[in-house]
Amino acid sequence: MSRRDRITLALRDGLPVVLAYFPLSITFGVLAAASGVPWYASFFSSIWIYSGGAQFMLISMLEAATAPATIIATILLVNMRHVLYGATMGPYLAHWQEPLKWLAALGLTDESFVVTSNRAAGGERLTPSYYLTIALAAYGSWIAGTLVGAGIGGVVPSEAAAVLGFALPALFLALLFAGERTLPHLIAACTGGGLATLAGIMNLGGIGLIVGGLVGATAGQLLGRKMSRPARN
Amino acid sequence: MESQLWMILLIGAGTYLFRAGSLVLGSRVQWSERTKEWLAYVSPAVLGALLGPLLLLNDGQWIPIKDNTMLLAAVPTVAIAWWTRRLLFTVAAGIAFYAALYYFM
Repeated sequence: MSRRDRITLALRDGLPVVLAYFPLSITFGVLAAASGVPWYASFFSSIWIYSGGAQFMLISMLEAATAPATIIATILLVNMRHVLYGATMGPYLAHWQEPLKWLAALGLTDESFVVTSNRAAGGERLTPSYYLTIALAAYGSWIAGTLVGAGIGGVVPSEAAAVLGFALPALFLALLFAGERTLPHLIAACTGGGLATLAGIMNLGGIGLIVGGLVGATAGQLLGRKMSRPARN
Repeated sequence: MESQLWMILLIGAGTYLFRAGSLVLGSRVQWSERTKEWLAYVSPAVLGALLGPLLLLNDGQWIPIKDNTMLLAAVPTVAIAWWTRRLLFTVAAGIAFYAALYYFM
């Protein structure tokens, strides 16, 4: 396959991600503007963090006036899932030059991961031109949408912004229920949800997310091991 | 304002280190099965922990089910996610459900 074919293939594979990112990042820009975040902070957030869930969470936690240390700790714990993506993709990039791996890491988002890991799991050798084309197209779409959203944010009525606020829970629901959903995964989610809600009622704030994430993941793993044991014997 | 930029700076740096560190390490070493297994459950556990308070509470107060627009909109949104497994479509449908409930309730 020539370099040009690989780029064409990348654009075709990456199109759903590019198309999804544009309206989602517009929503992010609008919501950020509606809650008083200046456009350059939204722009910086999209360039520097480039993680939709984290960026939406940051806005809602800033609105709730959560303590900065709790915000940072919570969001980084949520973003720890990227370690799994990196660990999974790493072996496919083993033949790459070192600097290109560090560049590829920039574009390792939930959706890009799904697309590129599916392609790699199908036995295809991942080339830098294929992978980086997808990564850069998605990144560009995310940044462009943020600017559009931040630009029109001031003229969007507050009712519309309130309705768009459901984009975040909807995105989380989509990531949760469109992904792996075995019983252990659902138990991990319910354990995390139960503990975080309990902590919320007790006014413990962000700690509930951290404890819920750690205990929920452990509960999921324990159940997963228990369920797979009889099959192995 | 300055604290917002600091938070973005730290969150972005941490996220990039997670991405780059695991990708570069992952291209060199083999992770233990147990670690990979646990990591696979971090994502649903954290998503659940995010969704719980978001859908059930308002400022630490339980919202009665019949008044809970977000929770009601979440039900058909989950159904769409389950059947279509499409991210963008699910988000769009979810916002449409929520808008309908928001105006009619």
